[in-house]
Amino acid sequence: MEYLWEEEKLIKIVKRDQPSRTIFFLTPVLAIFLTLVAGGLIFYILGFKPFESLKFFFIVPIADMYGFSELLLKATPLCLIAIGLSFCFKSNNWNIGAEGQLTFGAIVSGGVALLFYDQEGFYILPIVILAGAIGGMLYASIPAILKTYFNTNEILVSLMLVYVSKLILDYLVVGPWSNPEGFNFPETRQFSDSARLPLLVEGLRIHAGIFLALAAVVISWFIFDKTYLGFQMKVSGFSLKTAKYAGYKGKKMIILVFLISGACAGLAGVGEITGPIGQLHREVSPDYGFTAIIVAFLGRLNPVGIIFASLVVAITYLGAETAQIFMQIPKYTGQVFQGMILFFLLASDYLLFFKIKFIGSKK
Amino acid sequence: MNTNLKISNVTKIYPGCVANDNISLEFESGKIYALLGENGAGKSTLVKILSGVIMPDEGQIFLNNKVLKLKSPIDAKKNKIGMVFQHFNLFETLSVFENLIIDSNETRENLREKIQSIMKKYNFSIDLDIPVLNLSAGQKQKVEIIRCLIRSPDVLIMDEPTSVLTEQETIELFSSLKQFSEEGILIIYITHKLKEVMSICDEVAVMRKGQLVSVSKIINEKIETLANKMIGQNLKTIKKKISNEKSKEQLIKISNLNYSSEDPFETNLKKINFEVNRGECLGIAGISGNGQSELFQVLSGEIVSEKDSIIFNDNPIGNLNPQERREYLMAFSPEDRMEQAAIPQMKIFENVALNNFKSSNFFNNGLINEKKIKEHSQKILSDFSVNTDNVELKSQFLSGGNLQKLIIGRELITSPELLICFNPTWGLDVGAINYIHETLIKINEQKKSVILISTDTDELLKLSDKICVIYKGKLSKIMNANEVTPEKLGILMGGGEID
Repeated sequence: MEYLWEEEKLIKIVKRDQPSRTIFFLTPVLAIFLTLVAGGLIFYILGFKPFESLKFFFIVPIADMYGFSELLLKATPLCLIAIGLSFCFKSNNWNIGAEGQLTFGAIVSGGVALLFYDQEGFYILPIVILAGAIGGMLYASIPAILKTYFNTNEILVSLMLVYVSKLILDYLVVGPWSNPEGFNFPETRQFSDSARLPLLVEGLRIHAGIFLALAAVVISWFIFDKTYLGFQMKVSGFSLKTAKYAGYKGKKMIILVFLISGACAGLAGVGEITGPIGQLHREVSPDYGFTAIIVAFLGRLNPVGIIFASLVVAITYLGAETAQIFMQIPKYTGQVFQGMILFFLLASDYLLFFKIKFIGSKK
Repeated sequence: MNTNLKISNVTKIYPGCVANDNISLEFESGKIYALLGENGAGKSTLVKILSGVIMPDEGQIFLNNKVLKLKSPIDAKKNKIGMVFQHFNLFETLSVFENLIIDSNETRENLREKIQSIMKKYNFSIDLDIPVLNLSAGQKQKVEIIRCLIRSPDVLIMDEPTSVLTEQETIELFSSLKQFSEEGILIIYITHKLKEVMSICDEVAVMRKGQLVSVSKIINEKIETLANKMIGQNLKTIKKKISNEKSKEQLIKISNLNYSSEDPFETNLKKINFEVNRGECLGIAGISGNGQSELFQVLSGEIVSEKDSIIFNDNPIGNLNPQERREYLMAFSPEDRMEQAAIPQMKIFENVALNNFKSSNFFNNGLINEKKIKEHSQKILSDFSVNTDNVELKSQFLSGGNLQKLIIGRELITSPELLICFNPTWGLDVGAINYIHETLIKINEQKKSVILISTDTDELLKLSDKICVIYKGKLSKIMNANEVTPEKLGILMGGGEID
């Protein structure tokens, strides 16, 4: 028990006997609501009409078919990466470097796609996709191995590797891999059509990558709920002491969750470059890898929750673009909203463990 | 100036346990007082009350005949009560000086001067500008002591101060404490080590199970009398019948097993040797923190050791992990029910699946065989009279006793040859304790063996065929239970020697 305003004792904060399950799923909703309120307030302070601005931000962008397809396009990598991250986070491994794994996956798969730039064939796309997953896994294995064998902190290592991967990409698209006919623009050749993910609807950008994301959702549910492997991950996540007592191989488990997470991020990278982009250039991802951390937590690390969370967070990307066009607000407003969601989510999580009691003044 | 600290009729009740039962004590400056007792005797609760960490339910504290209301540790500091906890509260990466200035109101220059003069006076030598992580445990403790001395305390409370110190550091600490005492600081020394009490304290108060047993002058006491008071002789009359016709068939043999840890709060195990025969219960007594946890982990395989250091049923298994050891029919019940033996957030049947070996078929081809696990769980619930039949219930809704029955049941339903348990009845009510005790006796009757690591001497004397004591990571010689008296155990547990 602790008291606020000690003398008067108006509010008492009491620890819950056990975290409430209802509140567990309600807090994300509360967090989104608070984000909207705070966002409206910010717009108001900036001199815009709050409701209209929020409408521009959250409703206008998805009002038509094109907008809706764009929403799915942005939600796809977020969902895929967040599913991968949920493996890490559920087992208490703090992989912050999905952005780097995405980038490295894009580099490896892009490299393979470039090998086939003048060829056609059904076999090209599967190889490219596989290469992306392997690239992401390789890159995720670095923090995993350093953590298990040298006791390094995976948060720092995975985060720093993000910048390394971005610089490698930068070097490649400016130097050895730049398009010989590209007038020195920092980009590679266009991939051949056989290395591109098929579009789902003519005229819209939504592509087959969405099936990868949905498959990841189903597979992750299956692994966690039905397999011994998932059971071991779950136990290790709740208590490493218990995992050790049960005789599970903790180190292998750590490396495995990093590999799964890296593969998902790598696939997200493949989806971007073989989907909407079609080549490698400097900006393969608008920080999807970082934003997916928010998605994973907003979705409560639950596969279905992550689908919804990825849609909500994807809107902030679109909203930021429309707000830039119609209201001349920098598109970084989107990141402000993402930040606020995470902030309010963490803050309202306090209610999971504590309840607030209002009591009358004693005096 | 004379300081007088009085505790008057202090009672503190926790759910299901009276931690302090109407305790009254009086302390005068110029003397060193020992507060002696086993784990769970209520020493720590009393100290927490004195240092403002918790408030008593009843009773008062008087400092120099004025009522003292301690609502927080800050109040204690304001009233010049200093406290050095067993686990240090230091920021490892900050320098010594930075650590000391955190809770000080003085300017840097003044404080530095003050620290220098304290160090000079008491002959401490610590570099103030190196990070705390580079200090030895003894030096860290000195930093904590300096932190108290800066406020020129009237009362200094030391909680188990020697548990992390080397012999040499202990000697240094004792001479400092004597010096403080001569300067009029009232010192209260909390310990369970009898030798230390005899060597530096003037008066000793003994606590047992929340009650104050005695207050006496050290000159009137001997190690033996203190041991008796600390452990008590209220032994249960139901004692296991020790039959003389035990088989001499050896089941497990530990030879020359060592473990050294990098963590200074862990205890190193030194040259552990023992063997247990079929149908026997070996009790390992000791005050907690003397290496029991490490010994349990070494025996369970959470910490692996040399292959040949553990021979079980003629198989060398020292290098196997717990799951592999289970295949040889060993079972383990760790001390921490909620954080190690079971996962409270998971359902009963999921917790049952933690003890998994090949023949149990809980997992087929990597998939969870939920039906099989649930059937098995149902059997445990009924065979071990856990008061639910719902295997889908989350384990956190079980009481401590029922959770322990579930855990013991999970370990025993596979008929292991050896059960290793660590404080199996800790924190349980009498009914559950009796049930667990009867179960352990039954195992022996079925010619299976038990290694019982426990801090409860009553329990050990009741259940064991052979008993030894672990002290600072070393095992005493192994004695037959019928030759052992509480007095002997008390001496060994306090680090003494017997013939």
